[in-house]
Amino acid sequence: MFSRPSRRDFLQVGFVGGLGLTLPQFLRIQEAQGAIKQYESKEGTAKSVIFIFMPGGMAHQETFDPKPYAPIEYRGPMNSIETNVPGTRLNEMLKQTAQVADKLAICRSMTHGEAAHERGTHNMFTGYRPSPALQFPSMGSVVTHEFPSKNNLPQYVCIPNQPNEYAGTGYLSSSYAPFSLGSDPASKGFTVKDLKLPGGVNDNRFTRRRTVLAAVNDHFAAKEKADSLDAVDSFYQRAYSMVSSQQAREAFNINAEPDKLRDEYGRNTAGARLLLARRLCEAGARFVTLTYGGWDMHDNINRGIRGQLPAFDQAFAALIRDLDRRGKLKDTLVCIASEFGRTPKINGNAGRDHWPKVFSVVLAGGGIKGGIVYGKSNSTASEPEEDALTVEDWATTIYKCLGITADKELMAPGDRPIEIVNGGKVRKPLLA
Amino acid sequence: MIIASRSRRTLWATLSTLLLTGTLSAAEPSPSELSVYPPDVRLNTLRDRQSLVIQARYPDGLTRDVTAQAKLTLANPALIKMEQNVLHPAADGKTEVTVEFGGLTQKIPVEVAAATADRPISFQLDVMPVFMRSGCNMGSCHGAARGKDGFRLSLFGFDPNGDHHRLTREISGRRINLALPHESLLVEKAIGSVPHSGGKRFEKDGELYNTLIRWLEAGAPPDAGEVPKVLSVELYPPGAVLDGQGTQQKLTVRAKYSDGTDRDVTSQALFLSSNDNSAVVSPDGIVEAQNRGEAFVMARFETHTVGSHFIVLPKGLQFTWPDVAANNYVDELIYNKLKKLRIQPSELCSDEAFLRRAYLDIAGTLPTVEEYSRFMQDSDPQKRDRLVDELLERKEFVEMWVMKWAELLQIRTTRQVSYKPMLRYYNWLQDKVANNVPMDKMVQELLASKGGTFSNAATNYYQTETATLKVAENVAQVFMGMRIQCAQCHNHPFDRWTMDDYYSFAAFFSQIGRKRGEDPREVIIFNSGGGEVKHPVGGRVMPPKFLGGATPDVAGKDRREVMAKWLASAENPYFAKNLANIVWAHFFGKGIINEVDDVRVSNPPVNPELLDELARRFTEYNYDFKKLVRDICTSRTYQLATQTNESNESDDRNFSHATLRRLRAEVLLDSITQVTDTKNKFRGLPLGARAVQIADGNTSTYFLKTFGRASRGSVCACEVKMEPNLSQALHLLNGDTVNSKIQQGKLIERRLNEKKTPQEIIDELYLRTLTRHPTDKEKAALESVLAGEKDPKPVLEDVFWALLNSREFSFNH
Repeated sequence: MFSRPSRRDFLQVGFVGGLGLTLPQFLRIQEAQGAIKQYESKEGTAKSVIFIFMPGGMAHQETFDPKPYAPIEYRGPMNSIETNVPGTRLNEMLKQTAQVADKLAICRSMTHGEAAHERGTHNMFTGYRPSPALQFPSMGSVVTHEFPSKNNLPQYVCIPNQPNEYAGTGYLSSSYAPFSLGSDPASKGFTVKDLKLPGGVNDNRFTRRRTVLAAVNDHFAAKEKADSLDAVDSFYQRAYSMVSSQQAREAFNINAEPDKLRDEYGRNTAGARLLLARRLCEAGARFVTLTYGGWDMHDNINRGIRGQLPAFDQAFAALIRDLDRRGKLKDTLVCIASEFGRTPKINGNAGRDHWPKVFSVVLAGGGIKGGIVYGKSNSTASEPEEDALTVEDWATTIYKCLGITADKELMAPGDRPIEIVNGGKVRKPLLA
Repeated sequence: MIIASRSRRTLWATLSTLLLTGTLSAAEPSPSELSVYPPDVRLNTLRDRQSLVIQARYPDGLTRDVTAQAKLTLANPALIKMEQNVLHPAADGKTEVTVEFGGLTQKIPVEVAAATADRPISFQLDVMPVFMRSGCNMGSCHGAARGKDGFRLSLFGFDPNGDHHRLTREISGRRINLALPHESLLVEKAIGSVPHSGGKRFEKDGELYNTLIRWLEAGAPPDAGEVPKVLSVELYPPGAVLDGQGTQQKLTVRAKYSDGTDRDVTSQALFLSSNDNSAVVSPDGIVEAQNRGEAFVMARFETHTVGSHFIVLPKGLQFTWPDVAANNYVDELIYNKLKKLRIQPSELCSDEAFLRRAYLDIAGTLPTVEEYSRFMQDSDPQKRDRLVDELLERKEFVEMWVMKWAELLQIRTTRQVSYKPMLRYYNWLQDKVANNVPMDKMVQELLASKGGTFSNAATNYYQTETATLKVAENVAQVFMGMRIQCAQCHNHPFDRWTMDDYYSFAAFFSQIGRKRGEDPREVIIFNSGGGEVKHPVGGRVMPPKFLGGATPDVAGKDRREVMAKWLASAENPYFAKNLANIVWAHFFGKGIINEVDDVRVSNPPVNPELLDELARRFTEYNYDFKKLVRDICTSRTYQLATQTNESNESDDRNFSHATLRRLRAEVLLDSITQVTDTKNKFRGLPLGARAVQIADGNTSTYFLKTFGRASRGSVCACEVKMEPNLSQALHLLNGDTVNSKIQQGKLIERRLNEKKTPQEIIDELYLRTLTRHPTDKEKAALESVLAGEKDPKPVLEDVFWALLNSREFSFNH
């Protein structure tokens, strides 16, 4: 006799039978049998996450991991500056960020093996290597799966839109999809699409519309029963509560922020996106994803960095200061990530190419220790030298702060229990 | 009782007899059929054996495992040693086993050869199956790319030579101990006598253990010479209908090898049930019934997975078939399955429901008020069939399927395909579908296409995707419904595809030449005549081989032409079935194999007979899919109501009732546009064109994107998203589509000017949007809303708004 391999040892395939039990019942049985790893998620140190993604592959050398003593072809054309953490230097464009470095955990040993944009992006949004067999959910969707909505706000919001396909629900149901603003908060007259009642429809008329709609829906609801119907219903309910909650709608109103603060963040894409992200988190959103700039600098990296980094520097430093002043930094985790870093040597076009072997990410707040540099790249920023930080461990640490145990298994189609992160470990030195 | 005819690789060897001998007690119902599996026994060498499984089938469709109760008699007992149901060789020769049960008798031939000779231990034939069965080479254990705890095996055994090397040569002397085989780390870990992260995998002195010891005692040899390949694996019985929880059925698994021998591999196969909730299977291959339902029980051995279909019914369930009419073969085959499951189909849907359903499904539009009246007043009993015929002749039917094909062919602008060739590609497709070109011809032309992406636009297929392996994967997924991606890196764990199959199929696409045309936007696709695909393990050049088919002669030929001719033909068993399944899924929201592009052994069709028959007819119709659509839409099954009865309320896979289906993005937008009397403008199309007609996957609007229109970025059937989301609800409630269109169309204003009463207008709005009149209750509710208002216009607009926001409007039912 040999013991039957446990369920999760197999990539189980097939179907939950057409007869007998519904899927939720079936999953409950599964849970009762303890065959899949199940833990209840409880809010952790980070009540919300602001996930700032720098698409294109941000050069670590020209941002958070300068190598001032490396030969010029590695060092690159830019200088570095001291920060308020003695011994930690940043790129010369990160002047304001340098003054909040004591709040940040700068991880300089991030590493994975995917040098193509989409594959690297997949890693950083899902915590998984891409698989041809399965679509993995993004961290934001997992958070939506694990926690209920607060104050009628969607748990997972993308500014301005879902940035790529990996920021979606993967194998999870569509009800865990992000809510996309649909327009850029930096644009003039920014409003979130469809949140306001249309012209000519006041609250009274909207109430009448809802009355009539209920009358029409009643007939169908009495006749038909289906999960798909309930799903549509649930989104209408969520829409109603958002539309009719002054507080929820107000969360998207960036103009309610004082002028002085808006100037502090900067009245540009970076400033507006980061400020709105803070506003949403404060109002109850749990995971806000935003992108800034384009960092695929194969040519003239000097010009590219000088063009894009200053605005980001201002906005990011303002965000950290702002959160800190409000006493919210302790429960808001801010993360800067990119799909990979860039090649150690400057190339023939004065740029740098894709380099996933080592690059930098930044974490701050929400239970992350401030004022540290975690891990180290070698002298030419080409390989991790200390504490190589894998995607799995990085994601597991973020989940840990959120209060999610990352080896919990979620149910993928075909009855496959899949861990939120496959084999990640919490990096304790990162935690406050 | 109807016996399923199976065209699967497993032999359906029912040996039935109606000879009734003797008398039976009244309490025990007598079986109508007795089956003995396997249908013949061949024993070769001393260690060979064969277990028999005997199954009785009763007139009510139930089956019973009678292996223990049946009486087995050997014609010549000297040849065979019989231990319960297992036959062992004793002496060479031929004889027969006679099986008797319940008054029925069956005989199967038995042949014994080399009865006293032992066969040498083989690494591939004996040892490798142990790793699979014990789970050693799974992805979560030593099969992981980096192995586990320092020891790696190839995933599901795709690289036996590598595994042999790692066991015997890597960390030499550590894993095996030839002097003291029992103290080899390999076996000590496996039986848990030393700490092992994977725990104890099997018992000391058990069969698996003894196999490893025998191999070690023999000096852990690699296999010399050509090793026989497993040609097929048979799982018996091929199906069962079990009566109540706890009922059991034994399985037996037999592998057939390329040297003509076979083996009973029941103890080396890995068993899985697709639905443990209905039937669980023990590691030894005993199925036990659980809750009512269906399960596909699979056995995996070597690279083969085979399945058997189990139905579990509640004990003593009473059932009367309601004797409903069958419109055509579709209904007959659906009913056959429902009878086995003891499920009654729903009632026929109302004329109103049918009218709306047929319009939306076939033409992608809603019936107008005039069309509604005409159909409802028609008293011809054949009017539903006539409506289907009418709709099939409409241009909207063509447009619907051009769109669906454009998704499969990924027609969109990309970095390699600019707008102009994309448009030509789309026009090429439209031309084929509009002219009802047989589907096999169209696909052959597409896959073998050569020339400029302007002059012969079908060649854009090879510009949309240029990576050889990805092209091969796409072709398999779109035209055969198979996802062979897994086999790029290891043998497919739940299907038959090996890495050899994968790379041999990819070899058809390794000689696609591409060069710049005169116009810089044009690319010429040609046969370069050179270029090979190599196997990543060992670097062998792979000869082109049809997926699941022969290795054709491609010397001096265009490989794509050879492949296209086979792929889109009756020789390819998957082509017609796959297209039939895609067509079916369009009309039922779910394929007979679901998802339609996930055909694999472990995801069997819910009704294989139906799928086979649809495919057979489709082939017979010379791949005219319009005829297939007609068969489907005129069946009673398509015309069932969504309302369920007690017996079918929990059925969601056997098409015993209609299901609610959301309208897809394009159809929803077109419907809103149609009922509000407004027009849309899309890129490249005249004002008033429908969203269904948009050529480019990358042309989109906020509405279409939010409601899940396919961007055609991949061939996956999942590109079209039918799931609701928050933005959709907000958009319909507050967005500019519904609100502005009601204003722009001025329908209510016009009707009020025509002096129509609010009641008449409400009636028309209902007919336009929901294809029905308002109920009395609805009328009363709306009346009370209207009552307090001086100006009926805003109220009527709100009614219109509510109808467009209603669930009933956005679902096909």
